[in-house]
Amino acid sequence: MIECMHEWALADAVIATAQKRFGGGERLSPGSVTVLVGELQAIDREILAFALDSLLAESALPAGIFRLATEPAAFLCRPCGRRWGLAEEAGLAAEEREAIHFLPESAHAFVRCPSCGSADFSVEKGRGVSIAEAGS
Amino acid sequence: MIDPRQAGIRRRLAGVRRVIAFCSAKGGVGKSFCAAGAGLALARAGRTVGLLDLDLPAASAHLFLGVQMRLPEEDRGILPLPCVPGLALMSAAAFTRERALALRGSEVSDAILELLCVTQWGRRDALLIDMPPGIGEEALDLARLVPQLETVVVSTPSMVSLRVVERLLAALEQMRVPVLGVLANMCRGDGDGVRRMAERRGVAFAGEIPYDPGVEPALGDPAALGGLPAVRAIGEALGAILGGPRPS
Repeated sequence: MIECMHEWALADAVIATAQKRFGGGERLSPGSVTVLVGELQAIDREILAFALDSLLAESALPAGIFRLATEPAAFLCRPCGRRWGLAEEAGLAAEEREAIHFLPESAHAFVRCPSCGSADFSVEKGRGVSIAEAGS
Repeated sequence: MIDPRQAGIRRRLAGVRRVIAFCSAKGGVGKSFCAAGAGLALARAGRTVGLLDLDLPAASAHLFLGVQMRLPEEDRGILPLPCVPGLALMSAAAFTRERALALRGSEVSDAILELLCVTQWGRRDALLIDMPPGIGEEALDLARLVPQLETVVVSTPSMVSLRVVERLLAALEQMRVPVLGVLANMCRGDGDGVRRMAERRGVAFAGEIPYDPGVEPALGDPAALGGLPAVRAIGEALGAILGGPRPS
């Protein structure tokens, strides 16, 4: 089952990007490339880590170069300026969370500003998967 | 920060022979109908086709094809939803259902990147893309992200459609996005204006699709839709396009 999860597509994209960016990775030390995992997308870190390790083993890159870090989600309401986090969205249904997991922008169909009810908000940080520059 | 999804997109589309976006500068000219009809007709002809609905706020391809929207299954990515043998669909509606999805430009770009990065199309003869009207984030992003992108432009014989579609053709030429042909949709024997406009812009006239009163009652029924004269005409036009040489 773990072999099927959609995290693999993102892990595959991370590996392809790292190969392009860092070549054979000769200058990379263990844990020197930070993969930021946005809280909103609720990526399963264990699966992502397993997928990254498995795909790394098939690549020219050295093992263990990735370090996973979670970035908390932060929303900003454009009309009223309210800032809030995912903790205030505890009422999201399981299927809505799953939809956001696959397509974070679907949050705009389900999440509303806790103050004014607007769907016109931005995800300031913690959206999805990104790579920090090596060593940073 | 580095966004890994662009590299992922190239890998997801590696097994797709042609990526063809159905565009128009004008809403209501039948892009979604032509894209869905092309998918049905090509699948009937034995080709393996994907359909990606990128009209994010007004996704409708599933309504034409009668595909029940549900969260997709996973297989090292997400799998498009099956429609008829040979045709599968991916749409933002699979995630939002019938809820409104109002997105700003950067959010549209993020959604497109995500869908293209995680959807596993596998091996396909063609991926057809149902575009929103105009040249917005979707068209600019596709041109940037999908080097093999080609387009079919849809117009009706209406003077208004002709005028704005001609501007679209000029923009596509400027963006160096190949136009496979211009489809004249909803014609009552009056597609000559579209043909002349295509000739003026130096692009192929792909064919005339008749106005078909049978479309509305066939919506949501792929078997009925696939048998309509209009869909057969779309299939003939697309078959000729796919069988012909790629434009440079």
